[in-house]
Amino acid sequence: MSIPETTPNPPEPLTSAWSRSRVGAFLSQPVSWVFLIVGSIIAFLSLYPTYFLFYGSLTDAPLGLPGKFTLDNYVRAYSDPEAYSLMLNSFIFGIGSSGLSVLFALALAWITIRTDAPFRRLFELTAIIPNILPPILVSISWVMLLNPSNGLINGLFVKIFGMEKGPFNIYSMAGLIYVEALILTPLAFLIVAAAMKSMDPSLEESAKTLGSGEFGVMRRITFPLIRPAILAAGTLNFVRAIESFDTPAIIALPARIEVFTTKIWREALGSFPTNHNLAATYGVGILAIALVFVYLYRRFTSQVESFSTVTGKGFRPHQIELGPWRYVASGVAFLLLVMLVVLPILVLSLVAILPYYHVPTWQTWQNLTLSHFQYVWATPRVHKAFLNSLFLSLVGATLCMTLASLAAYITVRTKLAARGLIEGLVFIPWAFPGTAMALGLLWAYVDFPIPVYATVWIILIAYVTRFLPYGLRAVSSTIIQVHKELEEASIVCGAGFLTTFRRILIPMMRPGVMAGWIILVTIFMREFSATLFLYSPGAEPLGPLLYFLYLDGMRGRVAAIGLVISLISVILIAVAQRYSRWDTK
Amino acid sequence: MPSVYLVLVALLSLPLTASVARGQSAQLLDAAKKEGKAVIYGSLEGDTMDAIIHAFKKKFGLDAEYWRASATKVMDRAMTEFRAGKNGADAIVAADNVMRLMQKDGYFQKYDSPTNSDFPKEVIDPNLGPRYRNVVVGVVYNKAALKPNEYPKTLEDLAKPQYRGKIVMPDPTQHTTTTQWLASLYKIMGKEKAEKFMRDLAANKPVWVESLLPAAERVASGEIPIAITYIKYAYIDAKKGAPVDYVRDAKVIGDASYITLASKAPHLNAGKAFIDFFLDDESMNLMSKLGEFVNRKGILPPLPGADKLGFVEMDDLSTKEFAEKKKEYTQIFLR
Repeated sequence: MSIPETTPNPPEPLTSAWSRSRVGAFLSQPVSWVFLIVGSIIAFLSLYPTYFLFYGSLTDAPLGLPGKFTLDNYVRAYSDPEAYSLMLNSFIFGIGSSGLSVLFALALAWITIRTDAPFRRLFELTAIIPNILPPILVSISWVMLLNPSNGLINGLFVKIFGMEKGPFNIYSMAGLIYVEALILTPLAFLIVAAAMKSMDPSLEESAKTLGSGEFGVMRRITFPLIRPAILAAGTLNFVRAIESFDTPAIIALPARIEVFTTKIWREALGSFPTNHNLAATYGVGILAIALVFVYLYRRFTSQVESFSTVTGKGFRPHQIELGPWRYVASGVAFLLLVMLVVLPILVLSLVAILPYYHVPTWQTWQNLTLSHFQYVWATPRVHKAFLNSLFLSLVGATLCMTLASLAAYITVRTKLAARGLIEGLVFIPWAFPGTAMALGLLWAYVDFPIPVYATVWIILIAYVTRFLPYGLRAVSSTIIQVHKELEEASIVCGAGFLTTFRRILIPMMRPGVMAGWIILVTIFMREFSATLFLYSPGAEPLGPLLYFLYLDGMRGRVAAIGLVISLISVILIAVAQRYSRWDTK
Repeated sequence: MPSVYLVLVALLSLPLTASVARGQSAQLLDAAKKEGKAVIYGSLEGDTMDAIIHAFKKKFGLDAEYWRASATKVMDRAMTEFRAGKNGADAIVAADNVMRLMQKDGYFQKYDSPTNSDFPKEVIDPNLGPRYRNVVVGVVYNKAALKPNEYPKTLEDLAKPQYRGKIVMPDPTQHTTTTQWLASLYKIMGKEKAEKFMRDLAANKPVWVESLLPAAERVASGEIPIAITYIKYAYIDAKKGAPVDYVRDAKVIGDASYITLASKAPHLNAGKAFIDFFLDDESMNLMSKLGEFVNRKGILPPLPGADKLGFVEMDDLSTKEFAEKKKEYTQIFLR
């Protein structure tokens, strides 16, 4: 007897149904749509200009001309043993300056946020100022202060202690690391400070209840809790240092110390004619190093839950009462701020009233001038540049932080398989040296089907592309600390993803979002390497204007504009802080 | 390229008479006004160009916009736009080397400005037009940082051991104009002497900076007493009160600059009108007053002794020659 087959509706292949149900389930989640949209935007912003740079590194003709595929650029760039010794120099420089910057930032953040040291709020407000100053001006200030022949501080030592020669020499690896660390400190400060502000004090209080002293609490509780922020700041600053060119150009060159970026400059970007293909090839090397650091950072922070410190309970980081030591703490913060802010600003103020750039003598005081400030006051071109930059800074920083917040949520909070990719994609454009990336952006958008080239939109696209990592790092280090219980509670109460994101996560992430926004506003106010190639003549922002004035030797005008930018930025920061609920009164 | 020795413009020029401004034809100006503005990319100093644009606007009611960058960046942006068919510039103002490379790639079109005839024939390039200025490299020193008997008298003095550690110059293995300048020294010293000078200069361990301006600044600031830099800074910094002077060598090496019309100029007539004005008396006088060595007949910079300088144009180097020279100077200067 045969048994009839009773399978009127044969089942679909198991895998197909399974995938369809998985895709369906995936798409039914609002967070998946956010992932798709944010991921697509970031992938486009990152990969489109990067494609041109990669392509450039594998061809023998400038972009726009038909070229042949070649690996010669890679052979030339990386077969030279000198490249590796310079990479070692860059590594020492990167580790030294990022480490020192994190140390400075940590001390300053702890004193201003966690202690009752006098003037701590003033210190906090001013700590960001160096981020506003063009790095090149900070380097020049320190050359004026610490050069071995007539540096002002060296001169003081000679005069006071009757020394034959001043004790400091800025033209050394130590000098290079020191100045770069000062330039990098504000970024580290903002990230670490944001994390400290979001900390749940109950853990510290428990430790204290169990008998730990303040130092023990700091070592065993506070420091481990802010470790993601420290790593974030260290990672960012390391990459920023190894791709920095300004400080090495001013300090390393006279010291005859060469780092990787000065080699890139000599052989590719500063050569005549510019060898874009070789520049792109070197950029790929720096990118590889940077991606290794991103990977390491992700490994360090993989156990996300272990860093959660912001819970549903009311939190307010408690202030440590230092007793008489609070004056010492203020003294340390003051000393750091003298190095970070007071001395460079004093030198800049001096340069802004000197008729020409020089180390002042007694005769100088008779020749002081306000002509550089008059130039700022009376020149319509300067006013226009201020307005253009204000617009670009405010809109650019807001766009960037919106995207960064969503990207941070995806990379930190979701278990989506490709979330790590987003972090990698964000870092790609940032890891290329500034000028190389600017060329990538120029190549990418000059012939873009939507006519954005030489409009304000292309500059905004460039800003978001290049500086998204700053925003992402600032928000990620805060979001890591926000415990999931708050989101879960919101969802249990019936709120959807968007409501939870808006009502729970954004307020919780606010310190990080505001820290990132402030970093970006201050950078965009003076950014030039990407802007220079992309702005339309007639719509000049401040960065290119400063660059032109610097190129023409108008140090006085650059300093005067730099001071006005600092003032405007401080006002913006104060306003932002007021509305950010940073304060935990 | 054969050596070109030019006695400076003053010696060749006609007596100081106000040259007739050829001006633009009414037709050209009308067409230019319809186009609205001229867009210029260039490496000429911003203040100088601002003054010229201001005068241009005042005279013709025509607008001009200027995008300023280093010569190589000017080439990078202009050529990228050109290859993409999105030209932004109507004219380029830059140094000889850059202009020749761009010309080779077809960036420019020939335009005989009516003002060309006011330049000596020897400075008119058949493709790029008049070489409107020479940028002269020489020795600038700080009078307060040296005793009078220590002032260098000639460029060759810098080879003396007494100046060890007292000289600042751009890194010759990195800075294009300095590489070119060193490679052209044979034109004023002879080959053997030039080679010995370079070795002795290297032995004096000059302090390196990234370009010619920071070299001049370190002399003006008193940090280092002597610089190899553009000698116009001796005038510009002295005017601001810096105690600086320059060595009056009989022969000085320098670079040339041109302004040329873009082949795909989006505002062709406005570009032409701007070039005409730029090369005319008013603009050249403005430039000269700011310390520039312009080549228009009868116009001299206010730098004392400028009329006695014998200008020798530096050699153009090919990409291959640049690479070879940089290698050679790495051997000499990094020993």
